[in-house]
Amino acid sequence: MKAIMKFAVQVGAKFSLNADLIVNRAGRYFLLNKDLMKVSRKNFYYAGTYLGKVKNRKFFPSFNLLAMFAEGEANKIVVEKRAAWLFICGREIFRKGILEVHGSRRKGDHVLVLNEFRECLGFGRIFRGLDGAAMDEVVVKNVSDIGDFLRREI
Amino acid sequence: MSGKKFFTERYERLGWKFEDVKPRQAIRLNVTNIKGKSLEKRLESIGVQIEKVPFLETGYWVCDSKFSVGATAEYLLGFYSIQESAAQLPATLFTDLKGKTVLDACAAPGGKTVQLADLMGNSGMIVALDIKKRRLAALANHLERCHIGNTVVYELDARQVSRLKTKFDRILVDAPCSGNFSTDRHWFNRRTLKDVKQNAKLQRAILTEAAACLCDEGELVYSTCSLEPEENELNMDWAVKHLGLQIEEVDCYGENGLTKVFGSRLDSSMERSKRIWPGETQGFFICKLTKTEGKR
Repeated sequence: MKAIMKFAVQVGAKFSLNADLIVNRAGRYFLLNKDLMKVSRKNFYYAGTYLGKVKNRKFFPSFNLLAMFAEGEANKIVVEKRAAWLFICGREIFRKGILEVHGSRRKGDHVLVLNEFRECLGFGRIFRGLDGAAMDEVVVKNVSDIGDFLRREI
Repeated sequence: MSGKKFFTERYERLGWKFEDVKPRQAIRLNVTNIKGKSLEKRLESIGVQIEKVPFLETGYWVCDSKFSVGATAEYLLGFYSIQESAAQLPATLFTDLKGKTVLDACAAPGGKTVQLADLMGNSGMIVALDIKKRRLAALANHLERCHIGNTVVYELDARQVSRLKTKFDRILVDAPCSGNFSTDRHWFNRRTLKDVKQNAKLQRAILTEAAACLCDEGELVYSTCSLEPEENELNMDWAVKHLGLQIEEVDCYGENGLTKVFGSRLDSSMERSKRIWPGETQGFFICKLTKTEGKR
């Protein structure tokens, strides 16, 4: 729970979760509904909404968690079509690909990356302050994107 | 007892003349995730042409695509799943899924689990089982990609489901089966009648356990993608006679199930099941069952 809240702060998300419904299973965090809470046994493989995992003391958020953050207040950038596609392919984001910025513009902060339909594609780290950057400069480094679903299956 | 000639002659005796067919690729929209969005238009704008499958509410055939439909942003966001059109039928046969406790007895890789969750509007609870860990990883990915929140997954043999000590309102047994030639071009070289009979035995064991965990007013849907009657009508006939189950009428695509198989007459209610010979879809068999009054 602490790891999730710490990550929420890093992406500027104003967020609350009912700790009673969160289950940690071998470092993987799941948010269960009340029905699942009643019947799920300790040895489940997957349950409810997967929130992310802690590995080597580092938290790796799930895309479900990122999508939850994206629904509320958080550091977000909205990117144009081509930049969105390149981001899903694991690439960085250039200043010219950004249509809107919400929340922090500071170097080092985390930011959710949204497409033109405001759907969360993943998140990145601000590599260069968004205000002063030239259009052809990389400003957000890709940390995690939904293309990962394909990469996992290889 | 194997080979193309052996099996195609069997199909002919069952009333279907063999045709070498290739089923059309299909997708299924995840309605819960695309609320208010026009997915058809979005796919069209990126060069994917789709056409509604006439016998499915949310199924579409992929007519043309410049690239794999498994690599679009819309797919990765969980707006649709790639699911063969006949395989989309079993989950739609349940009545009133919202808020129910559902068992998906042989769940991986999760196409039907996600479909059930979508039909349930992510309400109630699904217990999804599979015995192969590698397949469970694919199931978990599918659930995460499609933002499913009402499912618990166990690495458990469906023949041991009573260990969970839960009664289910709805049970889907999409049984492990011999498959069919339309989705496996080496099928005729791979399969023998002995395999078919072994699978039929396993399916009966799963059915027995599933029936024991079904609520009195519950519904059980059994399906396979096998064309072999041992895994389909003969198993259902056995379930009617030994498990206290009855076959319910269903209104869905497909021919009526066979009531006579290689000279043996089966329970007349078998015609309520559905047999789909390969064509635009793959081969498939579906049967909906409930508990009979006397056995309650």
